[in-house]
Amino acid sequence: MVRFKLELTRWARSVILARPATHGLVGVRDVDEQAIDEAIVKFDAGLRLFHLHAEGMGLVIIVTTMTAVTLVRSDGVRRAVVVLLSAGGAGYPVGYLLWSALIPYYGVEPAKAIAEWVFWIPFGGATIVATWWLTVLVAMRLVRRS
Amino acid sequence: MRRPPLAVILVGLFLIALGETAGAVISQFRPQVARYAVARVAANPQRHGLAGSAEYDAEVTARAVYAVEAGLSFFHTHAQGLGPLVILVGTIGASVVPWRRARGVLYTLLALGALFPLGYLAYSVAVLERGREAGIEMAERYVLTPLGSAVIVGLIALAALIVAGHRRGPAA
Repeated sequence: MVRFKLELTRWARSVILARPATHGLVGVRDVDEQAIDEAIVKFDAGLRLFHLHAEGMGLVIIVTTMTAVTLVRSDGVRRAVVVLLSAGGAGYPVGYLLWSALIPYYGVEPAKAIAEWVFWIPFGGATIVATWWLTVLVAMRLVRRS
Repeated sequence: MRRPPLAVILVGLFLIALGETAGAVISQFRPQVARYAVARVAANPQRHGLAGSAEYDAEVTARAVYAVEAGLSFFHTHAQGLGPLVILVGTIGASVVPWRRARGVLYTLLALGALFPLGYLAYSVAVLERGREAGIEMAERYVLTPLGSAVIVGLIALAALIVAGHRRGPAA
């Protein structure tokens, strides 16, 4: 992102300009520039969020799976929790990359809808379900112990 | 490696789960959150310094809504970041600090500090109910600073305990 910022912005701009109808471009420079800027800001934001979430979720995967492997006794449950945490945590950030890549082709909101259904809802959902599941398992273990 | 007490692990996991859920909620309910924030600002005109001028009031309201959204976003990011930190630092403490009482103090500081991200929820609410500047100051002074300090003190204490434990090790 840092090294290729200019190239990425140029590429996004050229794809946006090649699809005026998708981005609501009307041929008036003042109006079009605002729409293009808005799309490019979101394109950039998608890349930044990918960077941020990939680093954060990597750590979350390591910590939560380590906890599951240490504290969950049932083999089947442990395997399910670890698979959900790993797949969910690894897949979720990719949604931001997809969103960003699709913005120049489909526009901000349609691209977001695709990323939501393909990555954010299934992978984010898996992570949320698995984390709460693990939290409840640890809470139950703590209650039983006390 | 030894594991920290279950209570510390539970606090960390709870924080991660809250942070993840908050991310999904913020993303899905952004318009509803913004509408609610606008309504609360309108309901507290004096605290937000609304003047009755449409243009000025719109700008003040937009700034307050932005602060509320920022608070929720910070809650999401800090909960996701601090949850793993609590578990990892707790694990390091459990593994390398030889003194039981010192470990207890460390766990207490970590568990207290783990509440830090909740301060950003308080931040968002306080902005709406007390006005932007007063709300931020209140959340920072009474919630964020004390809880954040607990984490900082815990981390410094762990560093000091690691050094002390290392010095004690060869002599023991």
